[in-house]
Amino acid sequence: MKRDRLSPLVTVLLLIGAAIMLAPMLWTLLLSFKSNAALMADSGSAFAPPWTLENYAAILKGSLTTRWLLNSLIVASGATIGVLVLSSLAGYGFARLEFPFRRTLFVIVLLGLAVPEQAVILPRHQLFAWAGLHNTYPGLILPSLTGSFGVFFMTQYFRAIPKELDEAALLDGASRFTLFRKVLLPLTIPAQATLGVFTFLAAWNDYWWPLISATTSDYFTLTVGLASAQMNYAQTSGLGFLMAQAVFASIPILVVYIAFQKQIVRAMAGTAVR
Amino acid sequence: MSGLELIDVSKSYGATRVLDGVSLAIGAGEFVAFLGPSGSGKSTLLRIIAGLESLDAGEVWLGGERIDGLAPGARGIAMVFQHYALYPHMTVRENMAFGLVNAGVPKDEIARRIAQAAETLEIATQLDKKPGQMSGGQRQRVAIGRAIVKKPKLFLLDEPLSNLDAALRGRTRVELAQLRTRVDAALVMVTHDQSEAMTLADRIVVMNDRRIQQVGTPAEVYARPANAFVAGFVGSPAMAMLPARVAGHDGARVRIGLPCGADLPTAIPAAAGLEEGAPVTLGLRAEHVTLAPPATPGLPARIDLVERLGDRTYLYARLSDGSEIIAHAPGFSAVRPGEAVTLAVDAAAAHVFTADGTAHHPGPRA
Repeated sequence: MKRDRLSPLVTVLLLIGAAIMLAPMLWTLLLSFKSNAALMADSGSAFAPPWTLENYAAILKGSLTTRWLLNSLIVASGATIGVLVLSSLAGYGFARLEFPFRRTLFVIVLLGLAVPEQAVILPRHQLFAWAGLHNTYPGLILPSLTGSFGVFFMTQYFRAIPKELDEAALLDGASRFTLFRKVLLPLTIPAQATLGVFTFLAAWNDYWWPLISATTSDYFTLTVGLASAQMNYAQTSGLGFLMAQAVFASIPILVVYIAFQKQIVRAMAGTAVR
Repeated sequence: MSGLELIDVSKSYGATRVLDGVSLAIGAGEFVAFLGPSGSGKSTLLRIIAGLESLDAGEVWLGGERIDGLAPGARGIAMVFQHYALYPHMTVRENMAFGLVNAGVPKDEIARRIAQAAETLEIATQLDKKPGQMSGGQRQRVAIGRAIVKKPKLFLLDEPLSNLDAALRGRTRVELAQLRTRVDAALVMVTHDQSEAMTLADRIVVMNDRRIQQVGTPAEVYARPANAFVAGFVGSPAMAMLPARVAGHDGARVRIGLPCGADLPTAIPAAAGLEEGAPVTLGLRAEHVTLAPPATPGLPARIDLVERLGDRTYLYARLSDGSEIIAHAPGFSAVRPGEAVTLAVDAAAAHVFTADGTAHHPGPRA
């Protein structure tokens, strides 16, 4: 398919928009390669050499940083896998199966979208304390699995798949589970990629719940750990180190996004067209 | 009975009844078309046979086995869907193999059946393509191939030609006609296109208003429609239906009077309901109405519309009382809309329908 050429005006506007979005990120990256001392004297010195990797070395030297990185990977991956499995099964159920109170349950799921985390965080804290889940991986992962968005998103996606495919598969002798696993699930891969990346991103960036649930540094995620390692007056005397921490914490997210870029764009475009 | 048998099948959606006591027997190896307008229940009946809809009452038998309680995959039925319903993420080969794998057919047997079907359907070079990379006609053939490899006892075809353009439709029609010579199974096709039904099927099941209106060969359904609905639905252009009354009897044959004053001696035997003065509907197919040669008696009419098809022309005309009639003329007729003409009617070929819809057909010609 031939792409339409953008008019010069639109191109210029898009370039300006992109520059505005990119500038803080490039500034962060630039600052991370300067020593704290140089930046304290003049943050404008970031534009001129010498540049250094000492801030990154300092992060890796911190004895617990790799542990926090691992924790974040476990929590974000666990949340992602859990959300994908539960949302796919629930989405298939809501979209395709007939069972009592299906509509009512779906309305409850939708209502779940309107409940802010702040409203439930205290009872959740008490519940997890009672169950002894604080300072455990399940304690950090489980709250992510209760989100409604994934169920709603996958339900809509399954609904958009023609029912004739189900019928063809049933006539082909497929069981309900074979139909789900071999026919419908592969067709939802773009949606799985999108939901997976969003979930991973949200879990990776989450700060509040890990701050509440993980009270020993062994279970800190990267966000909580890096914040705990900040010295006083970090924004003036430790600016380079602070920026290096920000870059370090963003790298896995960038990798995930770049790896799944095609699926994400396809899913978003597909949803818009339908 | 080794074919398909439906006994008193009924189905409702909530308070809406969509099938009402449908019974039908189809022989093994027979090609039957369900023909009817939208909402006549033909698609629901097909889906009930396939097991995709449950029935409220009645029985479905196939090959001597009662199948209405079985899962769709256990019925020995293959279906070609209107929109093909090919699995988009699977290659053509995987699409065709899916049902066989589920049925536990050995791998080498699957490969053999696919190769054989692909060759007869001329898709052997396409086996590693995905449906999205193929044209509509090729996808249709893959859908047929997926059905063939299962070696079913019954093929169901749901509006198989409705998605194709005119050129491809003609070609696929030929392929469907060939399909029946290749497979050892009964075929049931749902269609609202009577030319498909007339050209492909051994027998046509005309459906309307939740019930079977007539079951018969294409010739029977066309020449001896069971009621006014079948007469009006089958045939193109539709049979003209003129309000009339029984004018009297010529011996054992009925004479029909039209509001315009014409008195037509028909070949219809006198029967109950056809007493003198009884209100009836006269059914005339276009091929039995022609332009009368100059200075011969006939029905005066005025032309509304002229449809020139090349080999013949259909003339949509109005009699003096306003009732509509369709005549035909050979080749490109020079008649123009608005022109006054005289029509000659072959009254011996006319059909008569009484007020309750019962059909009376011409008896053997004297």
